[in-house]
Amino acid sequence: MTFTRLVSSTPGILVITAVAALAAGAGSIAQVQQLTTWTVYGLLALSLVLVWGKAGIFSFAQGALFGIGAYAYGVAGANLLPVTGESFSALLVGAVCGGLAAALIGYFVFYGRLGELPVAVVTLAFSLLLLTVMSSLSDPSYRIGVAVLGGYNGLGAPVLTAPGAPDGLTIPATFYLVVGVTALVAVGLRRLLGRPFGRIVLATARNEGRTELMGFDPRRVRLQAFTLGGVVAGLAGALYAASALYVDPSVFGLAQSALVVVWVLVGGRGSLLGGLAGVAMIEPLTSALGGSGGDLGPIILGAVLIVMVLLLPSGVVPALISLVRRRRAGHADEAAPVLAVEGPPPLPLDGRPPATLATHDLVKRFGGLLATDHVSLEFEPTRAHSIVGPNGAGKSTLFSLLVGANRPTEGTVWLDGADITRRSTFQRARLGLGIKRQVPSVYLDSTVLENLWVCAYADCRSVPESDRRAREMADWLGLSGRSADLAAELAHGHRQLLEIGMVLAARPRVVLLDEPTAGMTREETHLIAEVVRTLAAYCTVVVVEHDMEFIREVGAPVTVLHKGAVFAQGTIDEIRADERVLSIYLGRAHVEAS
Amino acid sequence: MPLDYLANAGTNILFDVATLVLVSLGLSIVFGMMGVINMAHGEFIMIGAFTVVLAVRQGVPLWAAMVAGPVVTGLVGVVTERLLIRRLYGKRIEGTLLATFGLGLILQQGATLLLGSSPEGIATPLGSFSLGRYSIGWYSLVIVAAALALVGLVLLLFLRTRYGLLARATMQNRAMAANLGIDTSRINMLTFGLGSALAGAAGALLAPVVAVVPTMGIPLISSAFITVVLGGPAVVTGTAASAGLLGLVRQVVTLLSTPLLGTAALLVAATVILRLLPGGISGRYRRTTL
Repeated sequence: MTFTRLVSSTPGILVITAVAALAAGAGSIAQVQQLTTWTVYGLLALSLVLVWGKAGIFSFAQGALFGIGAYAYGVAGANLLPVTGESFSALLVGAVCGGLAAALIGYFVFYGRLGELPVAVVTLAFSLLLLTVMSSLSDPSYRIGVAVLGGYNGLGAPVLTAPGAPDGLTIPATFYLVVGVTALVAVGLRRLLGRPFGRIVLATARNEGRTELMGFDPRRVRLQAFTLGGVVAGLAGALYAASALYVDPSVFGLAQSALVVVWVLVGGRGSLLGGLAGVAMIEPLTSALGGSGGDLGPIILGAVLIVMVLLLPSGVVPALISLVRRRRAGHADEAAPVLAVEGPPPLPLDGRPPATLATHDLVKRFGGLLATDHVSLEFEPTRAHSIVGPNGAGKSTLFSLLVGANRPTEGTVWLDGADITRRSTFQRARLGLGIKRQVPSVYLDSTVLENLWVCAYADCRSVPESDRRAREMADWLGLSGRSADLAAELAHGHRQLLEIGMVLAARPRVVLLDEPTAGMTREETHLIAEVVRTLAAYCTVVVVEHDMEFIREVGAPVTVLHKGAVFAQGTIDEIRADERVLSIYLGRAHVEAS
Repeated sequence: MPLDYLANAGTNILFDVATLVLVSLGLSIVFGMMGVINMAHGEFIMIGAFTVVLAVRQGVPLWAAMVAGPVVTGLVGVVTERLLIRRLYGKRIEGTLLATFGLGLILQQGATLLLGSSPEGIATPLGSFSLGRYSIGWYSLVIVAAALALVGLVLLLFLRTRYGLLARATMQNRAMAANLGIDTSRINMLTFGLGSALAGAAGALLAPVVAVVPTMGIPLISSAFITVVLGGPAVVTGTAASAGLLGLVRQVVTLLSTPLLGTAALLVAATVILRLLPGGISGRYRRTTL
């Protein structure tokens, strides 16, 4: 284990890379050139690991972004070299162009809220369009500055030239540069994924809805990750053009798009190493069989795709890793600890002041159905409030209007005097709404501590502070013994409790809970009631429930909804004594008439 | 503008729209009803086209060969569903996409090795008539009529037959359909077969007017994908509306400038509309609309 850790540490990676590169650089010129290309492909694979494996965006565009980077290097290099005497800046142009193109595609597909498969399709169509366009620009009049685009004949690219060394880099020197850049990008991406940005990217991929409830805009997060992937792919393309001294439109073709996906699929999209390993496995194989342009190349690629998808969908490297790290025995079988919270929640009493959430004449119509009927309510600070009503009373619709999942037909929602009716869910979360929907929504593939961390970070944007809050919250939830377990390993009650902890870790001013006791045992319900009572000292709490026993335990003022409208208000005892409320719960007809 | 110019332009637009409808309809049904993007759809079109070319060369009458195209392709689709797609339901969403992509690569290269990459063709039947300075092929009008007829047939199939009812039930709520005793696995097979047969029909109908080569699917499907995505959840009418819109844009720009700009305009139009209408053209229809 210590050996693995040493090898996978940043200096470890750099040392191993340097040694391997020096050894490889001693080969024949043809071998070195081959290795250069493969290393560039490795860099390209890293970009797809980031976009697909980490950010959860299946993209066919990495090949096209690579092509854009390559063409940009060729065009910029040819124009810059006579002026500046170097072509390194053209590498940057390639990376920037890749990033810009990715940002453009990303803006449309993510802000258009396309689903996962449509995104894949649009990225593919983008590549094919570029293939068509670049192939048909063969007339010599299509030129940018001194660079003739060349259509399907391709574009010549200048050799990498350092300032003051007009002859340009030798082939081994280019190889060392490519290896160095790839290693640095790999290390940089790994660092980044451990930092807040990376954790939020992972969180968005694992549970978009929860991330939005914490106040992050998933569209923006995806756009940022996709753009970064574009920069890496563009840089890879620029390096490709700089080492091959040539680029043609086939980089935009289906085969190239497929190749990138095959590398990452085979190696394992979940890890950066997987992307590199995929190239190391596939490329020597296809080149031994006559290259991917050979007769059998596409057939082998296709067969590899099918076999991998059917048999080893997570890839070779993750499969090996899980083989090495045998699952810790028996830890799921430990007697599941009973739900328990210890003392008051780890929240400061002098934190952000609780806020008043209010609605004014809120109306929501679905076609002919009046789901919310002129509801005006005010939820004052430092109190718990409960909203009850029989099934179909409009509780969930009202909740969706409060959290911004639906827009009201008429009326307004106010938070401390500010109109938030038109604010989206993530914007409301930023203003201090802590939201827990009915279905438990936690990051199943993240650990308990990571779950809490992301939520704390959503509020404080400070790593040490988030670390501290996450630990405190885990202690309070009685989950500190399981903080390294995945949330997927928790029982239902614990997931519900964890989610409440996540909401609190963001230090909300108003907490909205939709049926927090759904599917819980009697004792668990009792515990949640106690938590809600305690919370009222720190923030405004609104609970939507139909469990009257729970409402009684919470002891908060009750609003009864019926047919979308406020039907009765009062203390739980008043409500329980109200014949009319009893009637709507029991469905007696005479109330309808009155 | 002279009348004959407009009539010719109108025919071009109708022909382009019809082509888009033909190549997207099967793709859209398989995506909308099964949540599967069939990346081998272009190769299925190619199979339909080659079936016609090879059959005609064996002396089969053209119209009979055109029937054989969808039948052969439909059978290929059924086999594909049984052997490949079926193993990937309920797994990660890109599984079927990658597997059919792999299948597409194999079919394309397999066809190249077996049949060669030089273009095959059959003569365009029916001749042409002249309209002012332009000559218009009767067969273009056949394609337009065929696209209309196929859309009508598919709507009838889904709205008036037992299979259609069960398929729509399965599409709306797979678990509930299974609870009601519908054999959803069989419905999947038939739906994928139907989508593939429609690809085959597209290939067969287009065989007399395009170069039949193993890679013929590539330029066709990239616009088909865009059409389907823009069409949104209504698998038949949404796709038809989207094809109408995109075909119009592409042909108008092509007529005014070059085919290249026309294709670019298609992508730009689709992207901008998707940004304005998330969920596509039919995104705001009632969900159960076909």
